[in-house]
Amino acid sequence: MKKNKSTEPNQAIRVKDPLESLRGAYRLIRPIQSILGLLVIFVVAIVISPRARGDGSIIFLSEGNLTNILRQVSEIGIIALAMTFVILTAGIDLCVGSILALSASITAFLLVKWPDPTASSALSTGVHIAIAVSAALALSTFLGALNGATIAFMRLQPFIVTLAAMIGVRGLARWLTNNRNIDVGFAGATGETATLGADPGVVFANFFTKNMVIALFIGSAILFGFVLRYTVLGRYIRALGDNARASLYAGLPIKRVQIFVYALSGLMAGLAGVIHCAQNHQGSPNDGMAFELDAIAAVVIGGTSLSGGRGTIWGAVVGTLIMGVLRNMFRLKGVDSNVEMMCKAVIIILAVWIQRSRS
Amino acid sequence: MKRIDFLALGLSALPMAATLTSGCGKSEKTNDRKYLVVFSQCNNAEPYRAAQNALLENICAEYEDIQLEIMDAQQQNQNQIAQIETAITKQPDLLIVAPNERGPLTKIMGQAMDAGIPTICLERDILEPNYTTYIKCDNYEIGRMAGQFIADHLKAKYGQVKGKIVDLRGLLGVEGEINRHNGARSVLEQYDDVEFVQEAVADWLQSRARERMTEILSAQEQIDVVYGHNDPMAIGAYLAAKEVGREKEMIFVGVDGLGSEGGGIAKVMSGVLAATFIYPLCIDKAMEIGNQILRTPDFKPDKEYIMPSQIVTPENAEELYQKVTLQ
Repeated sequence: MKKNKSTEPNQAIRVKDPLESLRGAYRLIRPIQSILGLLVIFVVAIVISPRARGDGSIIFLSEGNLTNILRQVSEIGIIALAMTFVILTAGIDLCVGSILALSASITAFLLVKWPDPTASSALSTGVHIAIAVSAALALSTFLGALNGATIAFMRLQPFIVTLAAMIGVRGLARWLTNNRNIDVGFAGATGETATLGADPGVVFANFFTKNMVIALFIGSAILFGFVLRYTVLGRYIRALGDNARASLYAGLPIKRVQIFVYALSGLMAGLAGVIHCAQNHQGSPNDGMAFELDAIAAVVIGGTSLSGGRGTIWGAVVGTLIMGVLRNMFRLKGVDSNVEMMCKAVIIILAVWIQRSRS
Repeated sequence: MKRIDFLALGLSALPMAATLTSGCGKSEKTNDRKYLVVFSQCNNAEPYRAAQNALLENICAEYEDIQLEIMDAQQQNQNQIAQIETAITKQPDLLIVAPNERGPLTKIMGQAMDAGIPTICLERDILEPNYTTYIKCDNYEIGRMAGQFIADHLKAKYGQVKGKIVDLRGLLGVEGEINRHNGARSVLEQYDDVEFVQEAVADWLQSRARERMTEILSAQEQIDVVYGHNDPMAIGAYLAAKEVGREKEMIFVGVDGLGSEGGGIAKVMSGVLAATFIYPLCIDKAMEIGNQILRTPDFKPDKEYIMPSQIVTPENAEELYQKVTLQ
C-alpha cells in the first residue's frame, strides 16, 4: 500500500492520506469498538465449537447453548451492575459473594424450615415466598448499607471495610445454617406428591425459569444504565469517583451517595443469592466463593477504571458476557479447567489493555 | 451446638482468642472426673463434616462426664496445627483429629502423642503412625463398588458393559478424590466399550456441578451414567439434566450417603440418585474406642480399624435412612 502511494504523483499534498484511511477504519469500527473483544471471542467460539452429531450444526450457536450462557452469567452480571456503581465512586465491594451465600441460605431456611413445616401452616404459598425473599433482600440491603455507613462515617477504606464484611458475613451465614446446605423444592423429584402445588419451595424454584433469570439480568441492566446516564444520582456517583474533594466542596451529598451504592450492592448480591438458591434448589452457606473477584473482573474488562469516575453499565454487561462466552467455549471443548484459568488471566489483561489504549 | 460452632469459628478466626479460651477451658474443668475430649475438625463447612460434628455432639451428650470441644481448622493446615498445639497445652483426656492433609499434620500429632495424649486419627491418614489408633475409610474400595454398580447397570441396560460416562470430580489432589476416581476406573477400564466422554472438576459443589453439567449436556448427545464423586455433585448434574428434560436418559450415582433430608440417602429415596455409597462418619467408632481408652485402663486398641462402606439403592434406602439419620 505504501509503495502505491509513493508512486502517486501528487504525493506531497496527500501526505496525510494513510492516517486518513486509518481514521476511516477507526470510524467504521468505532460503534462496535466497545464490543470488539466480545465479537472476537464469539467468532473464535463459533470456529472451535464442536458440531452436533446429527445435523452437523454448531453447538455453540444453538439456542439452548446461547441462553445457557446468558443464564449462567446472570448472577455475576447482576452483581457486576451494582459493582460498577461502587467502583465508579472509587470504592470496591468484596463481600458480595458472602452476601449471596447468606441471602441464598436465608431464603432456603425461611422456605423450608419456617414456619415449622410439620405444624399446619397458616401462610399461603405466595405470602410465604414473598416473606422469604423480602427478608433475604432486606437483610442483604441492610448489610450493604452498614458497609456504606462504616465507610462514610468512620472514614475507613472500602477495601478494608468490605474485606471485614466478607469474612464476617460468611461466618454469619455458616453460623445461622450450622454449616449445612438446605435443600429447596425437591418434593417433586419423582413427581407427583399430593402437596406438590402447595410446597412453597417447589413453587419458588419453578418461578425462576431460565427466561425469568435472564429477564431479571437484562431488566436490571437497563435500569442501572438509565440511572447512571440520565439521572442526577448517576452524575453524583461519577463525580464522587472522579474527584471526591471537588464533590465535597460542591456540596454533593457524598455520605448519602456512598451509603446508597453499597446498600444497592448488597441488594443486588442478595437478589443474585435468591436466584442462586432457586436455580440450585439449595441454600448453601459455602457458595459464592470468589464471586466478588469474577464481578470485579467483569467490570474492569468492560473498561471501568478501578480508580473511579470512568466507566459504563454497558461495559459491565459486555465484560460479563466475555467471561461467560469464554467459559462456555472452553467447556464445550472439555478443556482442562486449569488451562481455562490461565487463558482467563491473559484475556483479562488483554481486554483491559485494549480499553486503555482506546482512551 | 450453635454456641460451640460459634466458639470454633471465633477460635479459628482469631488465633489470639484460641490461647485465651484455652486458659478458660482449663479453669472450668473443676470437676476432676470430667473427661475433656477435643475434636480437631479440618473443615466444618462441608456437609459430611457437619454431620460428623453433630453425631459426636449427640454421642457425647449422653455422657455427663465428657466435656467436648470441637475446633474448626477451616481447611487450613496452619490453623489445625495451631489448634492441636493449643489442645496439647490443655492436656485433654482424648484427642481426635480429622487431619486436613497428611504431610503437614504428621509432626504435630506426634507431639500430641509425645505429650501422652491418646490420639485418634480419623478417616484421613498421616505419613507416620503418630496415633493411638486410626479409624479408616477405604475410598478406593468405595470407588470400586461404584464402578461395579455402574458396570452392572450398563450390562442390564445393553446386555453388555458399554456406554458413555460423565465423571464429576471433587477438588483435585485430595486423597478421597483420587481414590474414588481410581477405584471406579479400575473396574470400568476393563471394558473397551465403556467411554468416559467427559470429565469435569466441580470441587465437590452442587452449584458448580450443575453449571458444568449444563455444558456437558450441550456437547454430549448421549450419556448413560453420571458418576459424581460426592452426592451434591451428582444432584447438581441431575438438576441440569432435568432442566433440559434429559434426566430419564441417564442415571446419577453419588458417594457419601448422608442421612437427614438434605443428604444423599433421601435423594435415592426420591429417585434423584440411582445409588450412593455410604462414606462412614467414623466418629461413632472413634468415640466407641475413645470411651474404652478413657474408662478401661488396660485397654489396648488395634492400630487400625477399617469402616466398611455400604451401597444405598432404592431397595434399602428407607431402612438406612432411619439408621443413619440422627434422632
